[in-house]
Amino acid sequence: MKRWLNQHRYAFSVALRRLWSQPFSSLCNILVISLSLAVPIVVAAVLDTARPVAMQIPVSAEVTLYLDRSAPSGAASRLGNELREKHADDIETVEVIDRERALTELRQRPAWSEALAALPDNPLPDAIVITLRQHPEIATTSSRLSEQWRSIGTVDTVQVDSTWVQRLQSLLDFLSIGLWLLALGVAIVVLATVFNTVRLQALTQREEIAVARLVGATESFVRRPFLYLGALTALLSCGLATVAAWLALQPLNSVIDRLASSYGTQVSLQLPDSVSLLLSVLVITILGALSARWSVTRNTAF
Amino acid sequence: MIEFQHVFKSYGRGRNILADINFRIQPGEFVFVSGPSGAGKSTLLKLIGGLEPPSRGAILVNGHRSDRMPARARPYLRRAVGVILQDTHLLYDRNAIQNVLLPLAVAGHAPAQSQSRARAAMEKVGLSGKEDLNPVEMSGGEQQRLAIARAIVNRPSILIADEPTANLDEDSARRIMDVFKDFNRVGVTTLIASHDRSLMAAYANRTMRIDTGRFTDAPGVT
Repeated sequence: MKRWLNQHRYAFSVALRRLWSQPFSSLCNILVISLSLAVPIVVAAVLDTARPVAMQIPVSAEVTLYLDRSAPSGAASRLGNELREKHADDIETVEVIDRERALTELRQRPAWSEALAALPDNPLPDAIVITLRQHPEIATTSSRLSEQWRSIGTVDTVQVDSTWVQRLQSLLDFLSIGLWLLALGVAIVVLATVFNTVRLQALTQREEIAVARLVGATESFVRRPFLYLGALTALLSCGLATVAAWLALQPLNSVIDRLASSYGTQVSLQLPDSVSLLLSVLVITILGALSARWSVTRNTAF
Repeated sequence: MIEFQHVFKSYGRGRNILADINFRIQPGEFVFVSGPSGAGKSTLLKLIGGLEPPSRGAILVNGHRSDRMPARARPYLRRAVGVILQDTHLLYDRNAIQNVLLPLAVAGHAPAQSQSRARAAMEKVGLSGKEDLNPVEMSGGEQQRLAIARAIVNRPSILIADEPTANLDEDSARRIMDVFKDFNRVGVTTLIASHDRSLMAAYANRTMRIDTGRFTDAPGVT
Protein backbone atom coordinates (compact mmCIF):
# COMPACT_ATOMS: atom_id res chain seq x y z
CA MET A 1 0.00 0.00 0.00
CA LYS A 2 2.83 2.38 0.93
CA ARG A 3 4.63 1.59 -2.33
CA TRP A 4 1.42 2.17 -4.26
CA LEU A 5 0.99 5.56 -2.59
CA ASN A 6 4.64 6.41 -3.32
CA GLN A 7 4.08 5.56 -6.97
CA HIS A 8 1.01 7.80 -7.09
CA ARG A 9 2.91 10.63 -5.39
CA TYR A 10 5.66 10.22 -7.99
CA ALA A 11 3.15 10.16 -10.88
CA PHE A 12 1.44 13.30 -9.56
CA SER A 13 4.74 15.17 -9.27
CA VAL A 14 5.71 14.08 -12.80
CA ALA A 15 2.35 15.33 -14.12
CA LEU A 16 2.84 18.71 -12.41
CA ARG A 17 6.40 18.89 -13.77
CA ARG A 18 5.19 18.17 -17.30
CA LEU A 19 2.46 20.82 -17.03
CA TRP A 20 4.95 23.33 -15.69
CA SER A 21 7.69 22.48 -18.18
CA GLN A 22 5.59 23.81 -21.10
CA PRO A 23 3.65 26.66 -19.48
CA PHE A 24 2.46 28.34 -22.68
CA SER A 25 1.23 25.13 -24.28
CA SER A 26 -0.44 23.99 -21.03
CA LEU A 27 -2.12 27.38 -20.58
CA CYS A 28 -3.44 27.34 -24.16
CA ASN A 29 -4.98 23.90 -23.65
CA ILE A 30 -6.52 24.93 -20.35
CA LEU A 31 -7.90 28.14 -21.91
CA VAL A 32 -9.48 26.25 -24.83
CA ILE A 33 -11.19 23.79 -22.51
CA SER A 34 -12.23 26.39 -19.94
CA LEU A 35 -13.80 28.71 -22.53
CA SER A 36 -15.71 25.76 -23.96
CA LEU A 37 -16.88 24.85 -20.47
CA ALA A 38 -17.84 28.43 -19.60
CA VAL A 39 -20.50 28.54 -22.35
CA PRO A 40 -22.77 25.79 -20.91
CA ILE A 41 -22.25 27.20 -17.40
CA VAL A 42 -23.57 30.59 -18.55
CA VAL A 43 -26.47 28.95 -20.43
CA ALA A 44 -27.27 26.87 -17.35
CA ALA A 45 -27.23 30.04 -15.24
CA VAL A 46 -29.68 31.73 -17.63
CA LEU A 47 -31.98 28.70 -17.64
CA ASP A 48 -31.83 28.24 -13.87
CA THR A 49 -32.81 31.87 -13.42
CA ALA A 50 -35.38 32.19 -16.21
CA ARG A 51 -37.36 29.04 -15.44
CA PRO A 52 -38.64 30.05 -11.97
CA VAL A 53 -39.29 33.59 -13.24
CA ALA A 54 -41.43 32.25 -16.05
CA MET A 55 -43.31 30.07 -13.59
CA GLN A 56 -43.97 33.05 -11.29
CA ILE A 57 -45.44 35.33 -13.97
CA PRO A 58 -49.22 35.27 -13.57
CA VAL A 59 -50.63 33.72 -16.68
CA SER A 60 -54.22 34.22 -17.64
CA ALA A 61 -54.43 33.03 -21.20
CA GLU A 62 -57.13 35.18 -22.66
CA VAL A 63 -58.67 35.00 -26.09
CA THR A 64 -60.67 38.02 -27.25
CA LEU A 65 -63.19 37.63 -30.07
CA TYR A 66 -64.18 40.88 -31.85
CA LEU A 67 -67.43 40.45 -33.71
CA ASP A 68 -68.27 41.86 -37.09
CA ARG A 69 -69.86 45.29 -36.73
CA SER A 70 -72.75 44.09 -38.85
CA ALA A 71 -73.54 41.32 -36.34
CA PRO A 72 -77.05 41.67 -34.89
CA SER A 73 -77.61 42.87 -31.34
CA GLY A 74 -77.41 40.01 -28.83
CA ALA A 75 -75.21 37.89 -31.10
CA ALA A 76 -72.26 38.35 -28.75
CA SER A 77 -74.21 37.03 -25.72
CA ARG A 78 -75.52 34.07 -27.69
CA LEU A 79 -72.08 33.20 -29.04
CA GLY A 80 -70.55 33.61 -25.60
CA ASN A 81 -73.05 31.15 -24.07
CA GLU A 82 -72.63 28.77 -26.99
CA LEU A 83 -68.83 28.70 -26.64
CA ARG A 84 -69.01 28.29 -22.85
CA GLU A 85 -71.18 25.19 -23.27
CA LYS A 86 -69.23 23.73 -26.17
CA HIS A 87 -65.76 24.15 -24.60
CA ALA A 88 -66.61 23.86 -20.93
CA ASP A 89 -63.46 21.80 -20.27
CA ASP A 90 -61.17 24.50 -21.63
CA ILE A 91 -62.97 27.72 -20.69
CA GLU A 92 -62.72 29.29 -17.25
CA THR A 93 -64.79 32.46 -17.78
CA VAL A 94 -66.60 34.26 -20.57
CA GLU A 95 -67.21 38.00 -20.45
CA VAL A 96 -69.27 39.76 -23.09
CA ILE A 97 -68.48 43.43 -23.63
CA ASP A 98 -71.02 44.97 -25.98
CA ARG A 99 -70.03 47.89 -28.15
CA GLU A 100 -71.97 50.47 -26.05
CA ARG A 101 -70.24 49.44 -22.83
CA ALA A 102 -66.88 49.49 -24.58
CA LEU A 103 -67.56 52.99 -25.86
CA THR A 104 -68.62 54.19 -22.40
CA GLU A 105 -65.46 52.76 -20.84
CA LEU A 106 -63.31 54.30 -23.54
CA ARG A 107 -64.94 57.71 -23.15
CA GLN A 108 -63.91 57.73 -19.52
CA ARG A 109 -60.28 57.89 -20.65
CA PRO A 110 -59.33 61.55 -21.33
CA ALA A 111 -57.03 60.67 -24.21
CA TRP A 112 -59.86 59.03 -26.11
CA SER A 113 -62.91 61.10 -25.20
CA GLU A 114 -62.19 63.94 -27.64
CA ALA A 115 -61.36 61.61 -30.50
CA LEU A 116 -64.53 59.57 -29.96
CA ALA A 117 -66.66 62.75 -29.75
CA ALA A 118 -65.52 63.67 -33.26
CA LEU A 119 -66.80 60.38 -34.68
CA PRO A 120 -70.34 60.26 -36.14
CA ASP A 121 -71.14 56.82 -34.65
CA ASN A 122 -69.70 54.06 -32.42
CA PRO A 123 -66.74 52.45 -34.25
CA LEU A 124 -66.26 49.68 -31.68
CA PRO A 125 -67.42 46.09 -32.22
CA ASP A 126 -69.00 43.74 -29.67
CA ALA A 127 -66.31 41.68 -27.91
CA ILE A 128 -66.16 38.40 -26.01
CA VAL A 129 -63.24 37.96 -23.59
CA ILE A 130 -62.66 34.26 -22.87
CA THR A 131 -60.27 33.17 -20.13
CA LEU A 132 -58.96 29.64 -20.59
CA ARG A 133 -58.35 27.11 -17.84
CA GLN A 134 -54.70 26.68 -16.72
CA HIS A 135 -52.94 23.50 -17.74
CA PRO A 136 -49.52 22.56 -19.20
CA GLU A 137 -50.84 22.44 -22.78
CA ILE A 138 -52.56 25.83 -22.60
CA ALA A 139 -50.52 27.28 -25.48
CA THR A 140 -51.64 24.48 -27.79
CA THR A 141 -55.23 24.73 -26.60
CA SER A 142 -55.45 28.48 -27.09
CA SER A 143 -53.95 28.15 -30.54
CA ARG A 144 -56.40 25.37 -31.51
CA LEU A 145 -59.49 27.18 -30.19
CA SER A 146 -58.45 30.47 -31.81
CA GLU A 147 -58.26 28.76 -35.18
CA GLN A 148 -61.74 27.26 -34.68
CA TRP A 149 -63.27 30.55 -33.59
CA ARG A 150 -61.78 32.49 -36.49
CA SER A 151 -64.01 30.47 -38.83
CA ILE A 152 -67.22 31.55 -37.09
CA GLY A 153 -69.12 33.80 -39.47
CA THR A 154 -69.92 36.64 -37.04
CA VAL A 155 -66.34 36.78 -35.71
CA ASP A 156 -64.16 39.41 -37.36
CA THR A 157 -60.91 39.14 -35.37
CA VAL A 158 -59.50 36.75 -32.76
CA GLN A 159 -56.76 38.05 -30.47
CA VAL A 160 -54.81 35.68 -28.26
CA ASP A 161 -53.32 37.33 -25.17
CA SER A 162 -50.62 36.18 -22.77
CA THR A 163 -49.39 33.32 -24.88
CA TRP A 164 -45.92 34.80 -24.79
CA VAL A 165 -45.33 33.24 -21.38
CA GLN A 166 -46.18 29.83 -22.74
CA ARG A 167 -43.89 30.53 -25.66
CA LEU A 168 -41.15 31.51 -23.23
CA GLN A 169 -41.72 28.25 -21.38
CA SER A 170 -41.45 26.34 -24.65
CA LEU A 171 -38.30 28.27 -25.50
CA LEU A 172 -36.80 27.38 -22.13
CA ASP A 173 -37.60 23.71 -22.72
CA PHE A 174 -35.94 23.97 -26.10
CA LEU A 175 -32.91 25.65 -24.51
CA SER A 176 -32.72 22.84 -21.93
CA ILE A 177 -32.33 20.32 -24.71
CA GLY A 178 -29.86 22.67 -26.37
CA LEU A 179 -27.89 22.80 -23.11
CA TRP A 180 -27.56 19.01 -23.07
CA LEU A 181 -26.38 19.03 -26.68
CA LEU A 182 -23.95 21.82 -25.81
CA ALA A 183 -22.67 19.80 -22.83
CA LEU A 184 -22.15 16.84 -25.15
CA GLY A 185 -20.19 19.05 -27.55
CA VAL A 186 -18.07 20.38 -24.70
CA ALA A 187 -17.38 16.84 -23.50
CA ILE A 188 -16.10 16.03 -26.99
CA VAL A 189 -13.90 19.16 -26.91
CA VAL A 190 -12.47 18.07 -23.53
CA LEU A 191 -11.85 14.54 -24.81
CA ALA A 192 -10.18 15.72 -28.02
CA THR A 193 -8.02 18.39 -26.38
CA VAL A 194 -6.78 16.13 -23.58
CA PHE A 195 -6.25 13.27 -26.04
CA ASN A 196 -4.06 15.45 -28.24
CA THR A 197 -2.16 16.98 -25.30
CA VAL A 198 -1.35 13.55 -23.93
CA ARG A 199 -0.44 12.25 -27.39
CA LEU A 200 2.13 15.02 -27.82
CA GLN A 201 3.44 14.48 -24.29
CA ALA A 202 3.76 10.74 -24.89
CA LEU A 203 5.72 11.38 -28.07
CA THR A 204 8.13 13.72 -26.32
CA GLN A 205 8.51 11.28 -23.39
CA ARG A 206 9.28 8.22 -25.55
CA GLU A 207 12.81 7.86 -24.21
CA GLU A 208 11.70 8.14 -20.58
CA ILE A 209 8.96 5.58 -21.16
CA ALA A 210 11.41 3.18 -22.83
CA VAL A 211 13.88 3.52 -19.94
CA ALA A 212 11.13 3.12 -17.34
CA ARG A 213 10.06 -0.13 -19.03
CA LEU A 214 13.71 -1.25 -19.15
CA VAL A 215 14.04 -0.86 -15.37
CA GLY A 216 10.78 -2.69 -14.66
CA ALA A 217 7.96 -0.19 -14.95
CA THR A 218 4.50 -1.69 -15.34
CA GLU A 219 2.12 -0.24 -17.93
CA SER A 220 0.12 1.29 -15.06
CA PHE A 221 3.25 3.10 -13.91
CA VAL A 222 3.85 4.41 -17.44
CA ARG A 223 0.22 5.54 -17.83
CA ARG A 224 -0.31 7.05 -14.39
CA PRO A 225 1.45 10.45 -14.89
CA PHE A 226 -0.54 10.96 -18.10
CA LEU A 227 -3.79 10.17 -16.30
CA TYR A 228 -2.94 12.78 -13.68
CA LEU A 229 -1.99 15.19 -16.48
CA GLY A 230 -5.40 14.73 -18.13
CA ALA A 231 -7.27 15.02 -14.85
CA LEU A 232 -5.28 18.09 -13.74
CA THR A 233 -5.80 19.81 -17.08
CA ALA A 234 -9.55 19.19 -16.84
CA LEU A 235 -9.69 20.24 -13.17
CA LEU A 236 -7.80 23.50 -13.75
CA SER A 237 -9.99 24.18 -16.80
CA CYS A 238 -13.14 23.72 -14.68
CA GLY A 239 -11.84 26.23 -12.13
CA LEU A 240 -11.00 28.77 -14.80
CA ALA A 241 -14.33 28.16 -16.58
CA THR A 242 -16.26 28.87 -13.37
CA VAL A 243 -14.40 32.16 -12.89
CA ALA A 244 -14.92 33.08 -16.57
CA ALA A 245 -18.66 32.30 -16.35
CA TRP A 246 -19.00 34.37 -13.17
CA LEU A 247 -17.27 37.29 -14.86
CA ALA A 248 -19.50 36.95 -17.94
CA LEU A 249 -22.64 37.04 -15.77
CA GLN A 250 -21.78 40.42 -14.23
CA PRO A 251 -22.53 42.63 -17.29
CA LEU A 252 -25.52 40.41 -18.18
CA ASN A 253 -26.90 40.94 -14.69
CA SER A 254 -26.91 44.72 -14.98
CA VAL A 255 -28.92 44.52 -18.24
CA ILE A 256 -31.35 41.93 -16.86
CA ASP A 257 -31.80 43.92 -13.68
CA ARG A 258 -33.07 46.90 -15.71
CA LEU A 259 -35.41 44.67 -17.71
CA ALA A 260 -36.75 42.97 -14.59
CA SER A 261 -37.32 46.32 -12.85
CA SER A 262 -39.69 47.33 -15.67
CA TYR A 263 -41.80 44.26 -14.76
CA GLY A 264 -41.61 45.14 -11.10
CA THR A 265 -39.50 42.16 -10.18
CA GLN A 266 -35.89 41.43 -9.30
CA VAL A 267 -33.85 38.93 -11.22
CA SER A 268 -30.15 38.17 -11.16
CA LEU A 269 -28.26 35.43 -12.96
CA GLN A 270 -26.47 33.08 -10.58
CA LEU A 271 -23.97 30.30 -11.22
CA PRO A 272 -25.51 26.82 -10.91
CA ASP A 273 -25.66 25.57 -7.32
CA SER A 274 -22.47 24.24 -5.75
CA VAL A 275 -23.61 20.59 -5.86
CA SER A 276 -24.26 20.76 -9.61
CA LEU A 277 -20.97 22.57 -10.15
CA LEU A 278 -18.99 20.04 -8.09
CA LEU A 279 -20.67 17.16 -9.89
CA SER A 280 -19.81 18.73 -13.26
CA VAL A 281 -16.19 19.26 -12.17
CA LEU A 282 -16.00 15.62 -11.11
CA VAL A 283 -17.45 14.39 -14.42
CA ILE A 284 -15.13 16.61 -16.48
CA THR A 285 -12.08 15.54 -14.43
CA ILE A 286 -12.94 11.87 -14.91
CA LEU A 287 -13.46 12.53 -18.63
CA GLY A 288 -10.00 14.14 -18.77
CA ALA A 289 -8.40 11.15 -17.07
CA LEU A 290 -10.25 8.66 -19.32
CA SER A 291 -9.26 10.54 -22.46
CA ALA A 292 -5.64 10.60 -21.25
CA ARG A 293 -5.74 6.86 -20.62
CA TRP A 294 -7.14 6.22 -24.09
CA SER A 295 -4.49 8.43 -25.66
CA VAL A 296 -1.53 7.06 -23.71
CA THR A 297 -2.58 3.45 -24.38
CA ARG A 298 -2.73 4.20 -28.12
CA ASN A 299 0.45 6.26 -28.30
CA THR A 300 2.89 4.35 -26.12
CA ALA A 301 2.65 0.98 -27.82
CA PHE A 302 6.29 0.86 -28.87
CA MET B 1 20.21 -19.06 -11.90
CA ILE B 2 19.76 -18.67 -15.65
CA GLU B 3 18.94 -21.61 -17.91
CA PHE B 4 18.29 -21.81 -21.66
CA GLN B 5 16.72 -25.00 -23.06
CA HIS B 6 16.66 -25.35 -26.85
CA VAL B 7 16.07 -21.64 -27.36
CA PHE B 8 15.53 -20.25 -30.85
CA LYS B 9 15.05 -16.64 -31.79
CA SER B 10 14.17 -15.19 -35.15
CA TYR B 11 12.40 -12.05 -36.32
CA GLY B 12 9.45 -12.64 -38.61
CA ARG B 13 10.27 -15.35 -41.15
CA GLY B 14 13.95 -14.39 -41.23
CA ARG B 15 16.85 -16.65 -40.32
CA ASN B 16 17.40 -17.70 -36.74
CA ILE B 17 19.43 -15.12 -34.80
CA LEU B 18 19.83 -17.78 -32.12
CA ALA B 19 19.42 -21.49 -32.83
CA ASP B 20 19.07 -24.26 -30.28
CA ILE B 21 20.87 -22.52 -27.44
CA ASN B 22 21.36 -24.53 -24.25
CA PHE B 23 23.25 -23.43 -21.15
CA ARG B 24 22.98 -22.95 -17.44
CA ILE B 25 24.55 -20.20 -15.35
CA GLN B 26 24.73 -20.76 -11.62
CA PRO B 27 24.03 -17.96 -9.12
CA GLY B 28 27.07 -15.75 -8.51
CA GLU B 29 28.91 -16.65 -11.72
CA PHE B 30 30.83 -14.04 -13.73
CA VAL B 31 30.37 -14.89 -17.41
CA PHE B 32 31.55 -13.30 -20.63
CA VAL B 33 29.55 -13.84 -23.80
CA SER B 34 31.92 -13.36 -26.68
CA GLY B 35 31.58 -13.46 -30.41
CA PRO B 36 31.77 -11.29 -33.51
CA SER B 37 29.35 -8.47 -34.24
CA GLY B 38 25.97 -9.77 -35.34
CA ALA B 39 26.54 -13.16 -33.70
CA GLY B 40 23.47 -12.75 -31.45
CA LYS B 41 25.09 -11.62 -28.17
CA SER B 42 22.75 -8.65 -27.67
CA THR B 43 19.72 -10.79 -28.52
CA LEU B 44 20.81 -13.37 -25.95
CA LEU B 45 21.04 -10.71 -23.25
CA LYS B 46 17.65 -9.25 -24.21
CA LEU B 47 16.08 -12.70 -23.84
CA ILE B 48 17.58 -13.05 -20.35
CA GLY B 49 16.37 -9.57 -19.37
CA GLY B 50 12.84 -10.34 -20.58
CA LEU B 51 13.07 -7.49 -23.08
CA GLU B 52 12.12 -9.88 -25.88
CA PRO B 53 10.46 -13.30 -25.92
CA PRO B 54 12.11 -16.34 -27.55
CA SER B 55 10.61 -17.81 -30.72
CA ARG B 56 10.92 -21.30 -29.26
CA GLY B 57 12.38 -23.02 -26.23
CA ALA B 58 12.39 -22.43 -22.48
CA ILE B 59 14.16 -19.72 -20.50
CA LEU B 60 14.38 -19.94 -16.73
CA VAL B 61 15.45 -16.89 -14.74
CA ASN B 62 15.66 -17.29 -10.96
CA GLY B 63 13.53 -20.41 -11.30
CA HIS B 64 10.72 -18.74 -13.29
CA ARG B 65 9.84 -19.55 -16.94
CA SER B 66 10.25 -16.06 -18.38
CA ASP B 67 9.08 -17.24 -21.83
CA ARG B 68 5.70 -18.19 -20.37
CA MET B 69 5.35 -15.14 -18.18
CA PRO B 70 2.26 -13.01 -18.87
CA ALA B 71 3.04 -9.49 -20.08
CA ARG B 72 1.92 -7.95 -16.81
CA ALA B 73 4.43 -10.03 -14.82
CA ARG B 74 7.48 -9.25 -16.98
CA PRO B 75 8.19 -5.85 -15.38
CA TYR B 76 8.78 -7.62 -12.06
CA LEU B 77 11.34 -9.92 -13.75
CA ARG B 78 13.08 -6.84 -15.16
CA ARG B 79 13.44 -5.42 -11.65
CA ALA B 80 15.39 -8.57 -10.69
CA VAL B 81 17.69 -8.22 -13.68
CA GLY B 82 19.83 -5.10 -14.00
CA VAL B 83 20.29 -4.31 -17.70
CA ILE B 84 22.99 -2.11 -19.21
CA LEU B 85 22.53 -1.79 -22.95
CA GLN B 86 25.15 -0.77 -25.49
CA ASP B 87 23.49 2.65 -25.74
CA THR B 88 23.29 3.79 -22.12
CA HIS B 89 19.73 5.21 -22.57
CA LEU B 90 20.40 7.92 -20.02
CA LEU B 91 17.83 10.71 -19.78
CA TYR B 92 19.32 14.09 -20.61
CA ASP B 93 16.39 16.16 -19.36
CA ARG B 94 17.46 15.51 -15.74
CA ASN B 95 20.60 15.29 -13.67
CA ALA B 96 22.63 12.19 -12.82
CA ILE B 97 20.96 11.30 -9.54
CA GLN B 98 17.49 11.71 -11.02
CA ASN B 99 18.47 9.10 -13.62
CA VAL B 100 19.40 6.71 -10.81
CA LEU B 101 16.21 7.54 -8.90
CA LEU B 102 13.94 6.34 -11.73
CA PRO B 103 14.14 2.58 -10.97
CA LEU B 104 13.45 3.33 -7.29
CA ALA B 105 10.35 5.35 -8.23
CA VAL B 106 9.26 2.45 -10.44
CA ALA B 107 9.61 0.09 -7.46
CA GLY B 108 7.64 2.50 -5.24
CA HIS B 109 10.33 3.44 -2.72
CA ALA B 110 9.80 6.48 -0.50
CA PRO B 111 11.63 9.63 -1.71
CA ALA B 112 13.92 9.95 1.35
CA GLN B 113 14.96 6.29 1.21
CA SER B 114 15.42 6.56 -2.56
CA GLN B 115 17.78 9.50 -2.23
CA SER B 116 20.12 7.66 0.13
CA ARG B 117 20.06 4.49 -2.01
CA ALA B 118 20.74 6.44 -5.21
CA ARG B 119 23.69 8.26 -3.58
CA ALA B 120 25.06 4.95 -2.32
CA ALA B 121 24.77 3.43 -5.82
CA MET B 122 26.59 6.39 -7.34
CA GLU B 123 29.29 6.14 -4.70
CA LYS B 124 29.77 2.43 -5.50
CA VAL B 125 30.45 3.21 -9.15
CA GLY B 126 32.77 6.11 -8.28
CA LEU B 127 30.46 8.97 -9.15
CA SER B 128 30.18 10.50 -5.71
CA GLY B 129 29.95 14.28 -5.94
CA LYS B 130 28.60 14.19 -9.50
CA GLU B 131 24.94 13.79 -8.55
CA ASP B 132 23.88 17.18 -9.86
CA LEU B 133 25.66 16.96 -13.21
CA ASN B 134 23.64 16.43 -16.33
CA PRO B 135 24.77 13.19 -18.04
CA VAL B 136 25.73 15.23 -21.08
CA GLU B 137 28.42 16.91 -18.93
CA MET B 138 29.99 13.52 -18.09
CA SER B 139 32.64 11.56 -19.96
CA GLY B 140 31.79 8.32 -21.81
CA GLY B 141 33.17 6.23 -18.94
CA GLU B 142 31.20 8.20 -16.36
CA GLN B 143 28.00 7.84 -18.40
CA GLN B 144 28.58 4.09 -18.54
CA ARG B 145 29.11 3.98 -14.76
CA LEU B 146 25.96 6.06 -14.30
CA ALA B 147 24.05 3.47 -16.36
CA ILE B 148 25.51 0.77 -14.08
CA ALA B 149 24.42 2.72 -10.99
CA ARG B 150 20.90 2.88 -12.42
CA ALA B 151 20.96 -0.86 -13.14
CA ILE B 152 22.12 -1.88 -9.66
CA VAL B 153 20.22 0.61 -7.49
CA ASN B 154 17.30 -1.81 -7.09
CA ARG B 155 19.79 -4.51 -5.96
CA PRO B 156 19.14 -7.01 -8.76
CA SER B 157 20.33 -10.60 -8.40
CA ILE B 158 21.46 -10.66 -12.05
CA LEU B 159 23.38 -7.99 -13.94
CA ILE B 160 23.69 -8.10 -17.72
CA ALA B 161 25.71 -5.67 -19.78
CA ASP B 162 25.98 -5.38 -23.54
CA GLU B 163 29.41 -4.16 -24.67
CA PRO B 164 29.77 -1.86 -21.65
CA THR B 165 33.36 -0.95 -22.50
CA ALA B 166 32.91 -0.30 -26.22
CA ASN B 167 34.28 3.11 -27.27
CA LEU B 168 36.09 3.54 -23.93
CA ASP B 169 39.83 3.90 -23.41
CA GLU B 170 41.66 1.09 -21.62
CA ASP B 171 41.72 2.77 -18.21
CA SER B 172 38.00 3.59 -18.29
CA ALA B 173 37.22 0.06 -19.49
CA ARG B 174 39.15 -1.49 -16.59
CA ARG B 175 37.42 0.80 -14.06
CA ILE B 176 34.06 -0.35 -15.45
CA MET B 177 35.09 -4.01 -15.24
CA ASP B 178 36.27 -3.48 -11.66
CA VAL B 179 32.82 -2.18 -10.80
CA PHE B 180 31.20 -5.31 -12.28
CA LYS B 181 33.67 -7.53 -10.45
CA ASP B 182 32.84 -5.77 -7.15
CA PHE B 183 29.14 -6.52 -7.61
CA ASN B 184 29.92 -10.11 -8.56
CA ARG B 185 31.91 -10.53 -5.34
CA VAL B 186 28.80 -9.80 -3.30
CA GLY B 187 26.86 -12.52 -5.15
CA VAL B 188 25.37 -10.76 -8.19
CA THR B 189 25.34 -13.09 -11.21
CA THR B 190 27.01 -11.08 -13.96
CA LEU B 191 26.88 -11.57 -17.75
CA ILE B 192 28.85 -9.31 -20.01
CA ALA B 193 28.72 -9.35 -23.78
CA SER B 194 32.06 -8.27 -25.18
CA HIS B 195 34.55 -9.00 -27.92
CA ASP B 196 37.48 -7.47 -26.04
CA ARG B 197 39.85 -10.44 -25.61
CA SER B 198 42.19 -8.59 -23.24
CA LEU B 199 39.36 -7.85 -20.81
CA MET B 200 38.13 -11.44 -21.00
CA ALA B 201 41.61 -12.71 -20.27
CA ALA B 202 41.88 -10.41 -17.29
CA TYR B 203 38.40 -10.85 -15.76
CA ALA B 204 36.60 -13.95 -17.07
CA ASN B 205 35.74 -16.89 -14.85
CA ARG B 206 33.78 -18.37 -17.70
CA THR B 207 33.36 -17.46 -21.35
CA MET B 208 30.56 -18.55 -23.65
CA ARG B 209 31.35 -18.05 -27.31
CA ILE B 210 28.54 -17.55 -29.73
CA ASP B 211 28.83 -17.35 -33.51
CA THR B 212 26.05 -16.91 -36.08
CA GLY B 213 23.46 -17.83 -33.53
CA ARG B 214 25.07 -21.03 -32.21
CA PHE B 215 27.48 -21.88 -29.45
CA THR B 216 30.68 -22.83 -31.20
CA ASP B 217 32.49 -23.89 -28.06
CA ALA B 218 31.07 -25.57 -25.03
CA PRO B 219 29.66 -23.31 -22.33
CA GLY B 220 31.25 -23.56 -18.95
CA VAL B 221 34.77 -23.19 -20.28
CA THR B 222 36.84 -21.28 -17.79
